[in-house]
Amino acid sequence: MMIVRLILLPALSLGGISLAAWSVHKGDEQPKPTPGLTTPAVPPFPSRVSATGVVEASTRNVGLGVARPGLVAALPHDIGSDVTKGDLLLQIDDRDLRAQLAIRKADLASAEQELARLVALPRAEDLAPLAAAVAQRRAQLTDSQNLLRLATAVGDPRAISREELTRRESAVAVAQATLAAAEAELERVEVGAWAPDLAIARARVDAARAGVASVEAELQQLQVTAPFDGKVLQVNVRVGEYAAAGPSAEPAIVLGAVRTLHVRADIDEMDVWRLRPEAPARAFVRGNPKLSAPLRFVAVEPLMIPKRSLSGSSREQVDTRVLQVLYALDPTALPVQVGQLVDVFVESLNAPGATDTPAEGTPK
Amino acid sequence: MAEAKAFAVRTHGVTKVFGRGAAAVHALRGIELEVPWGELVMLVGPSGCGKTTLISILAGILDRTEGECQVLGVDPQHLRQSTRTRWRGENVGFVFQQFNLIPALTAAENVAVPLLLLGHPRRKAIAAAEAQLERVGIADKRKVRPTQLSGGQQQRVAIARALVHEPRFVVCDEPTSALDADNGQIVMGLLAEIAMRGDRALVVVTHDARIFHFADRIVRMDDGLVAGVRTQTADRTLKLHSHQP
Amino acid sequence: MNRIAIKMLVGDVAKYFGILLGITFAALLITQQSSIFVGLMSRTYAFVADTSLPDIWVTDPEVKYIDELEPMQSTALDRVRGVPDVQWAVPMYKAVLRGRLQNGTFRSVIVVGLDDATLIGGPPKMVEGDLGDLRRADGVILDVVSARTRLARYSAYDAQGNPAKDAERIPMAVGDTLQINDRRAVVVGLCEVTRTFQSQPVIYTTYTRALSFAPPERKQMSLILAKAADGVDPTALSDRITATTSLRARTAEQMQWDTILYYLKNTGIPINFGIAVLLGFLVGVAIAGQTFYNFTLDNLRYFGALKAMGGSTWLLLRMVLLQALLAGAIGYGLGVGLAALFGIQAGGTELAFRMTWHIPAISAAAVALICALSSLVSMIKVIRLEPAVVFRG
Repeated sequence: MMIVRLILLPALSLGGISLAAWSVHKGDEQPKPTPGLTTPAVPPFPSRVSATGVVEASTRNVGLGVARPGLVAALPHDIGSDVTKGDLLLQIDDRDLRAQLAIRKADLASAEQELARLVALPRAEDLAPLAAAVAQRRAQLTDSQNLLRLATAVGDPRAISREELTRRESAVAVAQATLAAAEAELERVEVGAWAPDLAIARARVDAARAGVASVEAELQQLQVTAPFDGKVLQVNVRVGEYAAAGPSAEPAIVLGAVRTLHVRADIDEMDVWRLRPEAPARAFVRGNPKLSAPLRFVAVEPLMIPKRSLSGSSREQVDTRVLQVLYALDPTALPVQVGQLVDVFVESLNAPGATDTPAEGTPK
Repeated sequence: MAEAKAFAVRTHGVTKVFGRGAAAVHALRGIELEVPWGELVMLVGPSGCGKTTLISILAGILDRTEGECQVLGVDPQHLRQSTRTRWRGENVGFVFQQFNLIPALTAAENVAVPLLLLGHPRRKAIAAAEAQLERVGIADKRKVRPTQLSGGQQQRVAIARALVHEPRFVVCDEPTSALDADNGQIVMGLLAEIAMRGDRALVVVTHDARIFHFADRIVRMDDGLVAGVRTQTADRTLKLHSHQP
Repeated sequence: MNRIAIKMLVGDVAKYFGILLGITFAALLITQQSSIFVGLMSRTYAFVADTSLPDIWVTDPEVKYIDELEPMQSTALDRVRGVPDVQWAVPMYKAVLRGRLQNGTFRSVIVVGLDDATLIGGPPKMVEGDLGDLRRADGVILDVVSARTRLARYSAYDAQGNPAKDAERIPMAVGDTLQINDRRAVVVGLCEVTRTFQSQPVIYTTYTRALSFAPPERKQMSLILAKAADGVDPTALSDRITATTSLRARTAEQMQWDTILYYLKNTGIPINFGIAVLLGFLVGVAIAGQTFYNFTLDNLRYFGALKAMGGSTWLLLRMVLLQALLAGAIGYGLGVGLAALFGIQAGGTELAFRMTWHIPAISAAAVALICALSSLVSMIKVIRLEPAVVFRG
């Protein structure tokens, strides 16, 4: 009993204190910091403006639309292929227009033939009978003149009856008239088509030609061609799909020149005053802080715009405005893609909240 | 001075008043007492006559109201509190009616207490205590706790404790009243046998007439005064009932 | 005489155990209740403590504590990144959303969205899967305790839709799906997190996916986690961020205290526990004080005898003090030991228990006070003790 009182209880008590100490020690253990998969970029400048930038083509990312809606018939260039100015990028189905074109072309041919026909008049075959008729009439006139001359040459009015003489004189007159008629007919035919008819025919040809040109222009509009040298960044339609036209339609093809890339950095309005656009700037690839490259200043968009969310949410509403600054980025320097987000740091002279800015009331 | 030296205790006109005013109790009214060296003096008298108050004053644990008191040549009341405690520890042995043995301690440890209080090392104190226990005849009980001892044995331990530090003055308060007659005789016999020396004085308060014969001098008190002193030749034989026919 | 004092103390079994019982009980009650209180309080900031990589937590200026976050504009992130000495800053989404389980029941879940690029701020410990698995489509990581309990389903249900009697609980596992705000989510991993105050399930996912789970709101970024550059004092830096960005930057520790203080101010927890601790103290004083006083009272005649036999008052006081000290020390050890045992037993259950070094120290002080109070009464008794009492039967 004395052992319990003198040894066991104090021993238990000591044990209790040790247990409590162990408990305290264990409870004090801080959870080990959980590292992320990577560390974020460390800003390269002690004083800087930070921004989120999006990589874009130097031409911006141009969304090409179709002028006329229709089914997509051909997409000769795949996504990512380099194209030169004028290359066909997209063909809308043109079968009906081609049919129309054939009709128009036939019309044109017809009008042209008609014109050619008119131009080709008189027909040789028409002239020969008429010339023959003239010759015949002339021969008849000669004949009748001869008969008259014979009568008159007799000089004996009796030898020739008056009646006969009159008849012979009439015959000459008739023959003369007939010849004149034949000659006139020959002359009419020899002249060819009538000028107004020709004018009409020519006009018809012009109209038919215009019709062909119109269909051809429409056919042109069914083709989307590259407006500049660049790379096909996105194709949003497939062969057989219906490509819609109109201002709200999604661009069928996104094209951009990527020989140099641009980074469009959104500078928060709170930080705009600190920004010196020409200051050194650097872009960091997200997910690997070791990947970074210098940026070259290109331009400041003079109009500040409401911040467009980059979070992907479509119903974003914000009341912050941002200044967009364009920087050029050598695409070989960083493995970035157009549309990728990068962290941008721009060196600044002033730390936020610095007081070395001209403040109101500061005596000069 | 020579006269004073002949007595271990000498008082003159000692009074003690407890309380004040109307409620004042006059416990002692002028005690004249002399206790010579080498004597066993018994204070007897009815309850409330002031015996206990008187030995308290003699032992230096209670202050008197008036009078003079010399104990072992000093007046304890004139000593500083700490000196008086020390003086008591060195010079006075106590035997109590209820023994007042500490129940948690063994017999030997209880006996060693006065030596320990005086700062003796424990080992020496225990050795002296065991020797003392042998003198009172219960050496075999040295490791036993008081609760396991009979009344007589407990009082023997108490006597050993009262004497272990060789005090020159021993006060005993009713040492036998908690014991039966035989044990009273044995205890008193022991006390007389081993305590009585020429350089020591014993004062025993009792009203147990069966032990009167151990005394050299019997002081009868009544109502705070010494009513009479009877000097006798002490008869220190045990008057045991169980041994009588 | 010290030995005698000790023997006197332990000699009386009933009294000794009585004193020990009182002190042990008081120490146990004070320690245990305080530990539960601290455990509960530390659960309020468990999320901050779990996410220990960032030094600085940036929120909207009106945010008071971690569980009620006002989202910020996403450009705030760039403002923080623009502050000098900020090594990095990443966004985090944290909100309570409604999750629907496969059996159709709803649960409120804490959805935490980690920065997509770095996945910083992830759970402290993965049990199954890998943090990188969050990159998989619709991937989320669940905390394993919730997966076993609140998010578990049962093998059978009765007519009322409650789990049937002998139904087995089927924990959520990797590959299971659930819906968060009607969006599909696939469990790709299980993690261990410190339980939160409301014990809601915690679901980790990427920031953008969390936004897609979240109802559309004008602002969506709940938190910015920032790290101070090497050698920069986070407290000074957070003050600077607060001053320059019109946001509220707090160090992790400040954020924890903000949260604790908010709960202290706005809930009844401190009062309830304060009463329990006070009660423990009073019970301890009552039992231990009473028994100790009784003990001294019983020993008073022995003390009187000692005083008569030449023991000085100072010696007796030392004895009483030693006895109180010894009883206090033993009782205290037993009490805190029992409390620690209780805490170890409670580990891993819903019961909050956390013993910081302050708690044993406080209960030591309380026990010391109990002993001091109870021995003081005894000491006064001893000082006033007239040695003459020994002759009064």
